[in-house]
Amino acid sequence: MNVRQGFKMAAKSIFSNKVRSFLTMLGIIIGVAAVVIMVSVVQGQNQKIKENFEKMGTNKISVSAFRYNMQDLTQDLYDFCLSLKELILGVTPNGGYYGPVKYMTKSTEANQQYGMSQTYLGSDQYSLCNNYTVEYGRDICWLDIKNYNQVVVLGASLKEFLFDYKNPIGEKITIGGQKFEVVGVYEAKGSEQNWYMDYMCVVPYSMNRMLNKQSMFSEFSVKAKSSEATTEAITRLTGFLSGRITNENGYFNVWSENTWMEQSDEQNRMMSLVLGGIAGISLLVGGIGIMNIMLVTVRERTREIGIRKAIGGTRKSILIQFLIEAAVICGTGGILGILLGYLGTLVAGKLILDIVLFPGVPMTLGAFGFSVILGISFGMYPAVKASGLQPVEALRAE
Amino acid sequence: MDLIDLKDAYKIYNEGYENEVRALSGVSLQVQRGEFLSIVGASGSGKSTLMNILGCLDIPTYGTYHLDGQDVGELTDRQLSKIRNKEVGFVFQGFHLIQALNAYENVELPLIYQGISGIKRREMVMEALERVKLTDRAHHKPSEMSGGQQQRVAIARAISTKPAIIMADEPTGALDSRTGEHVMEILMGLNGEGTTVILITHNTELAGACNRLIRISDGVIVEDSLREGVAT
Repeated sequence: MNVRQGFKMAAKSIFSNKVRSFLTMLGIIIGVAAVVIMVSVVQGQNQKIKENFEKMGTNKISVSAFRYNMQDLTQDLYDFCLSLKELILGVTPNGGYYGPVKYMTKSTEANQQYGMSQTYLGSDQYSLCNNYTVEYGRDICWLDIKNYNQVVVLGASLKEFLFDYKNPIGEKITIGGQKFEVVGVYEAKGSEQNWYMDYMCVVPYSMNRMLNKQSMFSEFSVKAKSSEATTEAITRLTGFLSGRITNENGYFNVWSENTWMEQSDEQNRMMSLVLGGIAGISLLVGGIGIMNIMLVTVRERTREIGIRKAIGGTRKSILIQFLIEAAVICGTGGILGILLGYLGTLVAGKLILDIVLFPGVPMTLGAFGFSVILGISFGMYPAVKASGLQPVEALRAE
Repeated sequence: MDLIDLKDAYKIYNEGYENEVRALSGVSLQVQRGEFLSIVGASGSGKSTLMNILGCLDIPTYGTYHLDGQDVGELTDRQLSKIRNKEVGFVFQGFHLIQALNAYENVELPLIYQGISGIKRREMVMEALERVKLTDRAHHKPSEMSGGQQQRVAIARAISTKPAIIMADEPTGALDSRTGEHVMEILMGLNGEGTTVILITHNTELAGACNRLIRISDGVIVEDSLREGVAT
């Protein structure tokens, strides 16, 4: 008997007992669907978190330092950051001014949705360090800083709020009572969760004196060349700062999003394993159901097995027949489970994560393969039992 | 050379225990090719056990059995399956058809086990069904057929591989007399073409149609006679 005949016979036997076959499959269907949905949702969540990190910028180091005598340290720290040029792509002071931004009659004070916007004070490398791209107009340049030019680059949402569809380039807006000329607009990052990343504007850091009445910066952002360079730069910066700041005279902190990302990756991996494990147990229960039904089937079909042996069926052909039957039940259950899993993932993705989520191809193939292997493993014992029956005794069975 | 050569065969169940049963006690039997043999005996006399051994469904506890020169006791499970498939065709009292398969598929089964390919297999199945005049019922399931038709399907299955021996265990037992006669006609026809037929029955009238009669009682052959007026 060849494998094709085996499949034909398996299909016949499954169809001749439709309700029972379906109920047997149900365990596998639910198990596979559960695995697919749970793992997909966790992966989707992971993906979403990763995307958010990427929007904020990878390999970005945040340096925060404060000392009672900050004046000297700001320049020293900036110089030290710039001296790491073999490790970094850019560095910017990361200052802020929190106050209304106005254009004509519009003011961020009156924005019902988001409230007041944040104005950042940065260098010509601010956009590089914080992962912004100029959509039109130009970015802040070194001469703006040097010449104390009162220019500003707007984030996409802030531009939309102040100007709607009007071209803002060349227009004057008011920040903290001072006029600034709009020279450029950043591309939207489009993160619903981190909407504030688009509701902002950037002015040259030399405006610190004008807006905040001081020239100190306690925060810097450094963009490293790679994740290895990030680690190295963090070490060097920590070394530099620990020589200058002690617990008595201030504090400092050097960290990167990479560390958070790794931690979150690790957490998600654990989550995947735990949820996958729970769903796996339900698959195991489904598998035991298969074994149970196959044992009942062998008992019920003892006479049939006897007939098959009497007319020339070998031990091997009976074994293969029952194994194929179990594998087909599980495989079909697996396919139906995957379909249900796709549907469930779509619904769960929309409800939980608010994204269009599909299970990955490797996991789909894995789930199918696993269900077939499950069928073969749990079908093995009943199949061996069936193939070992003596023809005379099997024929006598009622 | 004898087609069947059974020497001093015993079949003992639960040997050595209180509930020991001796189904056969030293049976010796030789059968030539082309014989139409009937084994008769009362219920429990051991005739079905004898058929099971002759058909390689079972092996004797003691004694030797040579089928077409081969010592059956030395064959592996796989070789026994092969002999049952190629050399022996069974017809049982209870038909023993697989209920989930239709007539065509039931007849096809031994040919599948033999590994015969599609077109050739189809020819052989149709030839066997033609033989029992059931080609029009090929796609009916056993539950959709009468007892006589089911027994004819069983005969078609038994002859589809063109075996040397047909073993028929009470083939007419579950049938009315007219249908039974028809089944007997088919078996006689097969014997006429040279197939050895072994008929197990308790019906002496049926046994009268055979050219040799073996009577068995309490696991021992008590009569082995050639029938007069029946041509070999």
